[in-house]
Amino acid sequence: MLTLTKDRALALALLLIVAVMWMESGDIRPPTSWQPYGSALFPRILLVVIGVLSLLILVRSLWVNVPERLGAKQLVTEWFQSRRTILALFLLFGLYAALLPVVGYIAATIGFLVASLALLLGIDTRRKWMINLTLSATLTIVIFVVFRYGLNVWLP
Amino acid sequence: MTNFFLQALAEVGTPSVLGLIIIGVLFGIVGGSIPGFTVTMAILVVFPFTFAMDPVSGVSLMVGVFVGGYSGGIVSGVMLGIPGTPSSITTVYDGYPMAQKGEPGRALGIGVASSFLGTLISVAVLVFFGPLIASFSMNFRPWEITALIVFALTLVAGLSSGALLKGLMAAALGLLITTVGYDRNSNLRFDFGLPAMGSGFEILPVMIGIFAFSQLLGNIEKLKDEKSDAKKIDTNVTIPYGLILKDMAGQKLNTLRSSLIGSLVGALPGTGGTVANFLSYDQAKKFSRHPEEFGTGTPSGIVASEASNSAVAGGAFVPTLALGIPGDLPMAIMMGVLILHGITPGPMMFEQNPVLVGAIYASLLIGAVVMVLCNLLLVRWFAKISLIPQQILVPVVLMLCAIGAYALNNNLFDIWVLFIFGIIGYLLWKADVPLTPLILGVVLGDNLERQLFRALELNESWLTFLTRPLSALFLALAVASILFSLYQDRKIQRLKNAAQRENI
Repeated sequence: MLTLTKDRALALALLLIVAVMWMESGDIRPPTSWQPYGSALFPRILLVVIGVLSLLILVRSLWVNVPERLGAKQLVTEWFQSRRTILALFLLFGLYAALLPVVGYIAATIGFLVASLALLLGIDTRRKWMINLTLSATLTIVIFVVFRYGLNVWLP
Repeated sequence: MTNFFLQALAEVGTPSVLGLIIIGVLFGIVGGSIPGFTVTMAILVVFPFTFAMDPVSGVSLMVGVFVGGYSGGIVSGVMLGIPGTPSSITTVYDGYPMAQKGEPGRALGIGVASSFLGTLISVAVLVFFGPLIASFSMNFRPWEITALIVFALTLVAGLSSGALLKGLMAAALGLLITTVGYDRNSNLRFDFGLPAMGSGFEILPVMIGIFAFSQLLGNIEKLKDEKSDAKKIDTNVTIPYGLILKDMAGQKLNTLRSSLIGSLVGALPGTGGTVANFLSYDQAKKFSRHPEEFGTGTPSGIVASEASNSAVAGGAFVPTLALGIPGDLPMAIMMGVLILHGITPGPMMFEQNPVLVGAIYASLLIGAVVMVLCNLLLVRWFAKISLIPQQILVPVVLMLCAIGAYALNNNLFDIWVLFIFGIIGYLLWKADVPLTPLILGVVLGDNLERQLFRALELNESWLTFLTRPLSALFLALAVASILFSLYQDRKIQRLKNAAQRENI
């Protein structure tokens, strides 16, 4: 069985994207009588280029000998497990984006900073908690004041 | 020329703009001196603050960050032995040994003086060559501009550290991103039924997402892999001014050569501070009477490294302003700043916005002076700041990125764009896809499509691209750059295979 490598995963993912976008490009309005080429031409040229390059990457990856290790499922699981912190940070950012319009800038930002600093710095000592809370609150308010009163930009 | 420069100087010389340049330089130095933060990240963080400013103020602030950022790498390079930015790697070779010998002040002083001279020489190059190239490129028609953009993209993709296929693919992906939303004929493309996608993606959240997430989260991953050995450093530095003047007096040729190399490398699309850094260090060693001293703490090594990477700043402005083709990643973001302020860099900019061009020259000059003063007066503080841990830096910068993306149009959709492209950027980075061609594709995509179709509307035949001498030349250069990269890729592969065989 073929091992899933970075290059193979990349090429397969891109080929899938190319296929989806090629189908979607069928919905683009065709050229009118005064246009020599329509709006779909440029993206289609790019899709062909990306598709061909992805195929080349895929074919090239087949020439490289990869020692058979784990199956695709295990590899994906291992990949996710070794990047728990990064994934948690992405999750926190996603939550932040979702909460911004609901609870407003100040509460959402303090929440995001406290949670992500706790994730990265740790919460095992009182000193770390103090640094975390002070930094989160101060920065949030400073940024709010600079944008709101200094630059006249309204934050949510 | 003198007239518009004086007018620009009057605009830049106001207290508020001078204050912005000082803030920009300070932030740039801080950003450059924190390992893993880089000049590009400093520019991205400051970018949103320019939205509410007039173009001269916004551009002056950014130029300040640019000048400060390229010099900031000296601090951590000399004090910690860790390059603050990739463009100051060779500064460590001689700066750190000199500091270990008990002369950190001398190393920092030489670095700062070289940075200053490098910036000045690169401004001279910009002032001289910018208008020349711009007036030459005034004759470019859509065919030439299309071919030039294609050449720039292939060059950048080809220079992406032995990953030609992925580099080209990244450039094409970047271009594809710009096709989302309404096009020039008001036809909707790739909206997937989401009304918010109709207006396409703003360049800023896409750029920040792709670059900042991969860079910041990559730094966190590195922290896990290699236990940080942040040492307690002695920040009690004194600058021996007399000795530095003596050192610099013996480095005239080295300074000039390294600055010219930096300016030239900066002006070439796809290269940047890191390439300039290694190239000029290598040349300085070859021309030196004592090449054996390089790497042991010689002033020549620090001069070569710092003069060249600071000269990149001025050099990189040449193609950006004159042709609308950014030379490297920080310049691509600078171009984004100009576009957001309603200014399209290119040959017409010298005609339509001469005062702004003059303001860039003036900001570079003032920024260089501010950079010297700040570095010499505040070096102890910069050394302390350079120790800020990534665990604190990453969440703060991510938050600033989100607020910056939102502040662009007061639109929450832009934060989601940032998030999605953050995930895409991180995954592509993990798959070893170079991100610079991708970002360049995003910046140049609209212009490429517009110029390509203007050319085809003027003449339906694609062959015209080959029958017009200049566009044919650019396309030939594009093919040549791909072939050269293929040759280099094969060479690197052969060397890798040989190394593997030796290990077996």
